Amino acid sequence: MSLDCGVFHTRYEADMGLRPRPLQRLRLGILALFVLVFPFVASPYWLDLANQVAIATVGAIGLNILVGSTGQISLGQGAFMAIGAYTAGLLTLNFGVPWGASVFAACLVTAAAGTFFGLPSLRLKGLYLAIATLAAQEIVEWAMTNWTAVTGGTEAIVLPAPVLFGVRMNTGFNFYWLAVLTAAGTALFAANLLRSRIGRAFEAVRDQDVAASVIGVDVFRTKLLAFATSSFFVGLAGAMIAFHRNIVTWERFTLSTSIVFLAMIIVGGLGSIRGSFLGAALITLLPAMITNLGRAIQDTAPQVASLLPYAQQAVFGIVIILFLIFEPRGLSKLWENLKDYFHVWPFAYRRGESRAG
Amino acid sequence: MRQAMRGAAGKRRCPAAALRAIGLGAAILLSAGCGGDAGPDTGMIKVGAIFDLTGPTADVGTDYGDGVRGFADWINSRGGIEGRPIDLVYQDYGYQVDRAEQLYTQFVGEGAVIFMGWGTGDTEALRLRIAEDEIPFSSASLSHRLGDPAEAPYNFLLATTYSDQFRIALQWIADNHGGGTPIVALMHNASPFGLSPARQGGVAFAEALGIDLTLYEMPRGAVDFTAEFSRIRQSGAQYVVFQNTSGPAAVALSNARSLGLEVTFFCLNWCSNAQVIQLAGDAAEGLMGTMPYAPLSVDVPGTRVIREYLESRGESAEGKTNAYTQGWWTFAAFAEGMRRVLAAGEELTGANIKAALETFADHDLGGVTAPVTFTPTDHRGSKGLRIFRVEEGTWAPFTDFVEAPGW
Repeated sequence: MSLDCGVFHTRYEADMGLRPRPLQRLRLGILALFVLVFPFVASPYWLDLANQVAIATVGAIGLNILVGSTGQISLGQGAFMAIGAYTAGLLTLNFGVPWGASVFAACLVTAAAGTFFGLPSLRLKGLYLAIATLAAQEIVEWAMTNWTAVTGGTEAIVLPAPVLFGVRMNTGFNFYWLAVLTAAGTALFAANLLRSRIGRAFEAVRDQDVAASVIGVDVFRTKLLAFATSSFFVGLAGAMIAFHRNIVTWERFTLSTSIVFLAMIIVGGLGSIRGSFLGAALITLLPAMITNLGRAIQDTAPQVASLLPYAQQAVFGIVIILFLIFEPRGLSKLWENLKDYFHVWPFAYRRGESRAG
Repeated sequence: MRQAMRGAAGKRRCPAAALRAIGLGAAILLSAGCGGDAGPDTGMIKVGAIFDLTGPTADVGTDYGDGVRGFADWINSRGGIEGRPIDLVYQDYGYQVDRAEQLYTQFVGEGAVIFMGWGTGDTEALRLRIAEDEIPFSSASLSHRLGDPAEAPYNFLLATTYSDQFRIALQWIADNHGGGTPIVALMHNASPFGLSPARQGGVAFAEALGIDLTLYEMPRGAVDFTAEFSRIRQSGAQYVVFQNTSGPAAVALSNARSLGLEVTFFCLNWCSNAQVIQLAGDAAEGLMGTMPYAPLSVDVPGTRVIREYLESRGESAEGKTNAYTQGWWTFAAFAEGMRRVLAAGEELTGANIKAALETFADHDLGGVTAPVTFTPTDHRGSKGLRIFRVEEGTWAPFTDFVEAPGW
């Protein structure tokens, strides 16, 4: 009886697959099964949370391409989501564009806007670029609330419900499929993008832009491409929000949105697709879980429960700080550590013992 | 050593996946466990509510929330509504639209028949869903549009809308100004809430009255309004109206006092409360307020019952603002709607509660507000209010109930 040890690929195609090993495929299969079964067993509340997570995942992947992979800090996430949401909403509302087309148009418009606001990255890096994107956030926020002729000002825009083959798509259950497919598609695209020449160029710019330009990467063009690609998906997330709720209000896209998304990718893992998902899930679900905890102990420990809303604000900050200190590579790395641990479990290699031996 | 290696190689395959499966299984269980069980037709009446205890409007949101909870406690101590106690499920949502949506879905999934909302942002975001779910919805947001059943069929506004309040203030100014053109500055919160009195008819009404009206935005978190006031001084304004919460309004009042600005100040709903006096001190003296809900210091049956309740709990009415009265009586009006449904022997559904609320004709809320009338075409409950004035550190009624001037 021979014992397999490791996986051997005999073709390049197999070796270069996204999930080259059987175990990875098994896990993916389990995840897919879960995703398929989930909406049939979940309550509307959990479906709603799942939809919020899926939308946040798309937005976080978008932001992660820019911040995590290319190293260009952006505080304009809320603004770009707003551009996506408003473009999609206004096209459908004012010009009767089918919602699918207006979502795509919203992605393109946001990509263009992202490229424009990415122009300062020619000269600016790090904190300075962060401030430039902060300006983008402020400008867009001001435009949303004051450019009444276009955005309707501070009033909410009410959209017609998205309908696909006569089925309304923005009920919790129907939207779930749309959101999950979009999130999966985004993840697949981003995963492949980061493996391509362009993706490598992104990372080269992030790690050392001078070295990148020496080896023939057009740094400015690459940065703009990162802004465009990132904004495309961020706009997609915004457009999804618009059609999910049928209503666009500016209060959803403030600076705090930008910060929450930055928190997602920091907690999840910079530059990691898996991390974007895990971070989006954690940051979206954490307040809900704290709320549920509060409700669970409301009768037994009302004192503690009444303090929880205030603690929630602190927990958010503490989580980010703890990740920055103990695992800067985020949940994604924690997951890898877990895999590595079980990889050789229970015969873990222990540093001290092996040195002694 | 060999053994260990073999073991390691053999273990390469499965455990992580197994672990993941366990995790996912747990997640499914969790989701099923926390899933909503629909409210039963008898017994507890489930009511959902969101409060802002930690967000930007927590200064007034906390008292509002306490008022809502206080009423639930009070009516339960008296046997509930037609013998059915209220199960109030509530959470802080920190003025975040996403969280409001999560909590709404959660509470309605658990069988809440009505929902007590709060801010303009979340109320607007939920407007379509509550109509679909047929959940009568009260919010502390008094945006005029929410009182129009054609646009928002399940939203009910108990108090005078912001724009009606603003009109009442403008009308008072026009009536009492004497000679010349009255110049009015509206200093507003930088949000839909801040702009709604002006945008929803206020500007046109000022024009019709021959009032020179200018809008000044109060940036969020500002601690100094000297720049705004110097512009206001240059404009020659005699009146300044605040549409903001008590915190920023108090800061502005103190600023104006130290600048020696001599104008008449008006506070609309959210800054005409005890807090603004507490925060601004002497600078609040002479401040006028359009106050749709009487503060607890005013002696009417509707405030007496609250004071008695607070006393019975060993709490003091001192320091409770009129947001407390507002929370209490907003909920009380909905409770009356539910009582009417149950008294008629009907099923307690959203549609029935809506219909019952629409039978309110000059319904008295203990003298706390002007009488409330809802019709199927108008969900703006009361169109009148009393103007109050700060005299020696307390709000005193300054006028009788004033109807908002017609459109």
